[in-house]
Amino acid sequence: MPKPVTKLLKAVCVALVLVWSLVPILMIVVSSFKADRDIFAAPPRLLFEPTFNNYLTLWNNWGDFFHGLVNSAIITIGATLLAVVTSALAGYAYSRFRSPTLAFSAFFLIFIRLIPPIVITLPLFPAVNVLRLNDTHILMIVLYATFFVSLGTLVMRTFMDQIPRELDEAAHIDGASRLQILRKVIFPLSAQGMVAVAVFVIVFAWNEFLFAFIFTTTNAKTAPLVISEMYGAVEGVEWGVLFAASTLQLLPVLIFVILAQKHLVAGLTAGATKG
Amino acid sequence: MSSVSLRNVTKSFGSVQVIKGVDVDIADGEFVILIGPSGCGKSTLLRMIAGLEEISSGDVLIGDRVVNAIPSKERDIAMVFQSYALYPHLTVRDNMGFSLSLRKAPKAETDQRVNAAAATLGLEHLLDRYPRQLSGGQRQRVAMGRAIVRDPKVFLFDEPLSNLDAKLRVQMRVEIKALHQRLRTTTIYVTHDQIEAMTMADKIVVMKDGLVEQVGPPLDLYDAPANIFVAQFIGSPAMNILEGRLTPDGVQHGDIVLPVPDALRQRAGDIQAVRYGIRPEHLVLADSGLPVTADVIEPTGSDTVIFGTLGSTPIVVNIRQRVDISAGSRIFVQPIMDNVHLFDETTTRRI
Repeated sequence: MPKPVTKLLKAVCVALVLVWSLVPILMIVVSSFKADRDIFAAPPRLLFEPTFNNYLTLWNNWGDFFHGLVNSAIITIGATLLAVVTSALAGYAYSRFRSPTLAFSAFFLIFIRLIPPIVITLPLFPAVNVLRLNDTHILMIVLYATFFVSLGTLVMRTFMDQIPRELDEAAHIDGASRLQILRKVIFPLSAQGMVAVAVFVIVFAWNEFLFAFIFTTTNAKTAPLVISEMYGAVEGVEWGVLFAASTLQLLPVLIFVILAQKHLVAGLTAGATKG
Repeated sequence: MSSVSLRNVTKSFGSVQVIKGVDVDIADGEFVILIGPSGCGKSTLLRMIAGLEEISSGDVLIGDRVVNAIPSKERDIAMVFQSYALYPHLTVRDNMGFSLSLRKAPKAETDQRVNAAAATLGLEHLLDRYPRQLSGGQRQRVAMGRAIVRDPKVFLFDEPLSNLDAKLRVQMRVEIKALHQRLRTTTIYVTHDQIEAMTMADKIVVMKDGLVEQVGPPLDLYDAPANIFVAQFIGSPAMNILEGRLTPDGVQHGDIVLPVPDALRQRAGDIQAVRYGIRPEHLVLADSGLPVTADVIEPTGSDTVIFGTLGSTPIVVNIRQRVDISAGSRIFVQPIMDNVHLFDETTTRRI
C-alpha cells in the first residue's frame, strides 16, 4: 500500500478513537456549564452563555457529594498505597524465588480474577457485619486493594523479571540486606510498574460502585454513590448539577492519568547490563 | 589482602553434582584464573567463593576463616560481573560509592575513595553520568571501580571481558593486569579464553566436568600439560594429538612413524597404546620428514598457520615466518624433539 494512503488511514482511525472516547467526556464537561434548557437542545448548542449555577447548586444542596469526594479520596489513596506495596513485595517474591507453593499460589492469582465480583461480595457481607467493619474506610481500602493485588502482583513480577538478577547479587556483595536491596535497587527500578499498578487501582477505586453500594451507607459513602442518588432524586433529575458533579468526579483521575503517562513510557532500566 | 583455600569443595543442584571435589590453594596477592569449557563449573565455583551459591560440602577459606556459612557481605570480597551489573538508576559516582553508603561511611571518606578509584581508572570526567550514557569499556571500568573502592581482601571476576569487542578486550586485559600489579589484591578470575589465562594469570586452574584437571603457572601448563585435555585447551592453535602405537622406532601412526626421543620412550615402559602430542609451533619445515598435504594456508602477518593432513589425520603447523606455500601442495615437517609429548591412551595422562 502506498505510504500516503496508510498515513491517511492511520489518521482516520486515530480520529475515530478520539471522537469515540472524548465526545462523552466533552459533553459532560461542557454541559456542566450550560443552563438546563441548553443541555438537551436539538441541535446541540455550540455557542451558549456559560454559567456556574450548576456548581453553586451542587455546593449548596448536595454537601453529601463533597463529603463523598473526601471519602473517595481517602479510600483511593489508602487502597492504592496498600495495593502497590503489597503487589511490589509479592511480585519480588514471585520473581526471585521458586517453589511448588509459589507456583501453585500463582495459579490462584489468576483464578480469583475469573469470578464475577458480586459472587465474592455477597458472602462477605455477614463476615463484615460480624467484624463490625460495615461502612468504614478501612474496609473499603482493604477490599479495593485486595481486588487488585492479584493483577498488581503479576504486573510487578513482570517488571521485576526484567531487572537482572546480577543487580541483586551485586548489591548483596556490596553489603545490602534484603530490605536494602528492595529499597535501593529493586523498587527504584520497578517504579514504572508501580505507577502502572497505581493507575489501575486509582481508576478502579475512584469509580467503583458495586462494593461501595453494598458496604457503605453514610460514614464511608463514596462520590459515585452520591451521583447515583442524584440520578434517582425524588424531585426529578437536575441534569446540570449531575454533570457538574460528574465533572468534579472525573477531574482528579484524568489529571493523574495524564501525569502518570510520562512515567509509564520512560525507559528506566536502559543501561543496566551490557545492552 | 588474603589467601583463599578450597578444601574438597562440592556443589550439587538436586541430584546433579556440578562441582565434584575441588582443592585449590590461592596465595595472598596471587592472580588466579579458573578456566575450562562451558559447563565445567568454573563460574559456579566463583559464585561459591562469593557466597552467591551454597556449598554442598567441603570448606571455603578466606584467610584462616571458613566462610561457608558467612554471608557475602561479611566475606570482604568484591565481584565484577560479566554483565557489569551497574545500578542503572545511580550515577557512576553513586554506583562506585554504593557499598560505602550502605556502610554509612562519612561523606568525605566516600568522596575521597571514589575519586581515588576514578583517578586510577581514568573515570574522573564520567562520575556524574549514568551507566546508560557509557560505552561498554567505560561500564567495565566502572564495575571495576566499584570493586576497588571497597578495598576488599579478594577480587572476583566472572568473565569480565566477554562482552567487549576484540580490541578493547586486549586493552582491558592489560589494564586489569596492571591494576593487579599495583594493588596486589588476591584475584580470582573466571574465563573461557585461554589467551586471557595465559597472559594474565600467576596461576591457572584448568577445570572440566566439575573437577580440576591441572593447577600451575601458565608456562608450566603449556610446557608440561598433565593430560590430553589440558594439552589441547591451553595454547592456540591447539596441540596436535595423533593416535598410534609405541614401537622401538617411534609412534606408528598408520603408515607413518612419528619420531620419539629415547628418554621419553624409556619413560613409557610397557605402555603401547599412546597419543602423540606436538604443538603446531613445534613443527618446522624440512626437506624430508613427515609428509603433510597443506589444505588451507592462513598468513597472519607474523606467523603462517597451515591446516593440512598427515596421512588421513588433520594436522596444524604454525611457522614463525612467511612461507610461500600454495594450497594443496605437499610439504615436509619435523617435530622439535624436546617438545614431543606422549599420552597414555587409556588414562589420557602425559607420560
